Amino acid sequence: MLSTIVEQSVNGIVTGSVYAIVAVGMTMIFGVLRAINFAHGEYYMLGTFGAWFSIDYLGLSYEASIVVGVLATIAVAYVVGQLVMRRMVGAPAESGVLATLGIALILQNTIILVFGGGYKFFAGGYIEPVSILGFSLAQQRILILVVCLLVFIGLELMVSYTRLGMAMRAVSQNVECCSVVGIDVPQVVLRTFMLGAALAALSGVLTAPVNVSVYGGMGELITFKTLPIIIMGGLGNVRGTFVAAMILGVAESLVATYVGLQFRDTVGFATLILMLMWRPHGLFSTQARF
Amino acid sequence: MKLTVSRRALFLSTAVLSLAVTVSGLPTIALAADGTIKLGLVAPMSGPNARYGAFSMHGAELAVKDINDAGGIDGMKIELLNADSQGTPVEGVSAARRLIDQDGVDFIIGDVSSSVTLAIQPVAEDAEVLLLNAASSNPKITYQAGVGGFKWTYRNYPTDENRALIVAKYAAEQRGFTKFAVLSVDSDYGRSAITFTKKYLPDFKGEILSEDYYKEGEVDFRSVLAKIRDNGAQAIIMYGLADTTPIIARQMIELGIAGKVALIGNGEFNTEKTIKSAPSALEGAVEAAAWLPQFDSPESKAFVEKFTATYNEAPNNHAYVHWDTVNLLAAAIKQAGSADKVKVRDALSKIKYKSPVGEVTFDDHNQARLPMILLQIENGKPSIKGAYTADIQYPAN
Repeated sequence: MLSTIVEQSVNGIVTGSVYAIVAVGMTMIFGVLRAINFAHGEYYMLGTFGAWFSIDYLGLSYEASIVVGVLATIAVAYVVGQLVMRRMVGAPAESGVLATLGIALILQNTIILVFGGGYKFFAGGYIEPVSILGFSLAQQRILILVVCLLVFIGLELMVSYTRLGMAMRAVSQNVECCSVVGIDVPQVVLRTFMLGAALAALSGVLTAPVNVSVYGGMGELITFKTLPIIIMGGLGNVRGTFVAAMILGVAESLVATYVGLQFRDTVGFATLILMLMWRPHGLFSTQARF
Repeated sequence: MKLTVSRRALFLSTAVLSLAVTVSGLPTIALAADGTIKLGLVAPMSGPNARYGAFSMHGAELAVKDINDAGGIDGMKIELLNADSQGTPVEGVSAARRLIDQDGVDFIIGDVSSSVTLAIQPVAEDAEVLLLNAASSNPKITYQAGVGGFKWTYRNYPTDENRALIVAKYAAEQRGFTKFAVLSVDSDYGRSAITFTKKYLPDFKGEILSEDYYKEGEVDFRSVLAKIRDNGAQAIIMYGLADTTPIIARQMIELGIAGKVALIGNGEFNTEKTIKSAPSALEGAVEAAAWLPQFDSPESKAFVEKFTATYNEAPNNHAYVHWDTVNLLAAAIKQAGSADKVKVRDALSKIKYKSPVGEVTFDDHNQARLPMILLQIENGKPSIKGAYTADIQYPAN
């Protein structure tokens, strides 16, 4: 009984790690742009497709495919960032919603047009189970956990000590002042956006071996899973996002075990509604900022 | 100003001219269409079931091409029009409406998904268009057809009730399973298959220890699989989606239950791709299918060969049933001696059509009487365990 709870919580933490890596990108983009990126799941999908393509068509190893997937996504994010995201600094919130929804549709349907709408089989990764303290966990899931921790440590260091990180924090706090003191705001937005997309892609490539199937519409669900997380975490809050992702992952896992698998997705949406009613600024913030 | 006016005039006249060309073109098209039979195919061409849709389309295309190449049905050619249902009832209904209102089809084959078929039945009934189902297995579809109500729905596919009974019987009698866990797709198909399994399990002293349903697109089954590992089920009854099977099978490996708990039911356990994705989890899997590429009959073998040569891919069950259903429709049109939909429908009710799996006739619920084939994965290869027929017990009206 107790061991089941522990095991399911571990499962939930792994799921939470995946959500965390995706959501932190989205929350950072919100921080600098004040816009929810509805196309965020699509970068997760693009990363996975890049990796799948390089394994199936180019015959690369799984490790190399991670690099290809992430780089390909960064390239797409650069183009989208230059054409669209940069222009959204100071634009009304509606234009951000419409623009990112449009981008989501374009990216998704381009992939479906090029590769077809069916599921593809992702061949890479390490799915053999490892036994730890009587629980079995795939090697790939341990990799996901480790990468998640590294990503968050890296991000913490970046926002505290690097020029870009400090600029991001500044932009998220006051756009006008940043412009006055000579920070190139559109450039900061572009870089934050590319970083966020790269993290989403990384998460996609890491998850692909355990999710096995790759298809054009796979990003949608991820986008909608990240919404409750970034709201629970406090929009723009990196640490809050990490904790919120873990809470959601564990809650989903326990609900799937004790209530029923079919109720899993309701956890996120119920959380979203409750948070918006009770604490719209999130569990960990009083205001949206880093 | 003058220039603008003349430009506008030029633009208008061009518009009128192009319209005139289109209109004058219309009778020619209508003339050409005379003598062609318009056949609509509603199938999921995108979304999670797109693979089924592609197979259905290819199967139907192959049959249409063969019939047309052989000179058509009494000189009439078939024109195949497809409409994407995306596997959802809402899109399915609008796809069917498009085929009926815009393309003017008299015959529709569709859909793969039971939920979609149930939704488009009343649409076909209202429009008095012959709806031939080739791949949905929910019993309700024919419970409510023929003497049950809808006069324009026919089904050339065995139902979940047959399947559930056959699988339960085999699992109990041949494999000695008594403890089962359910992990099926949350749809009319997955749920009704389990309802019928429950109806027959007590006859074989079987019990269900846990019951879970997954949404299309679900990718994390570890919580449920851990529960199944701990509750001691001998087999997982899965009526699911082909694309989800590899995910579940791989996570069975992760949890260390691959090879210990068998998958039984239906979810394309037998395709090469699925077996390759997780060989140890699929060993011993039992599946009941309407048709299999390995089925031993000359017509069936010839179909597999031709399909593989045309599309560089072995056909699956959906390719076969759509191919077969187009041929069945052609046989009915031939027997009716006309493509008039009322005559074709009457011909279909009385037809004795020779399909590769046996002679097909329809009962008073417009349901084809068909056998089911049972197979088990042994040493990474599907091996056929026989064809079984089970009579449907219709509920009293």
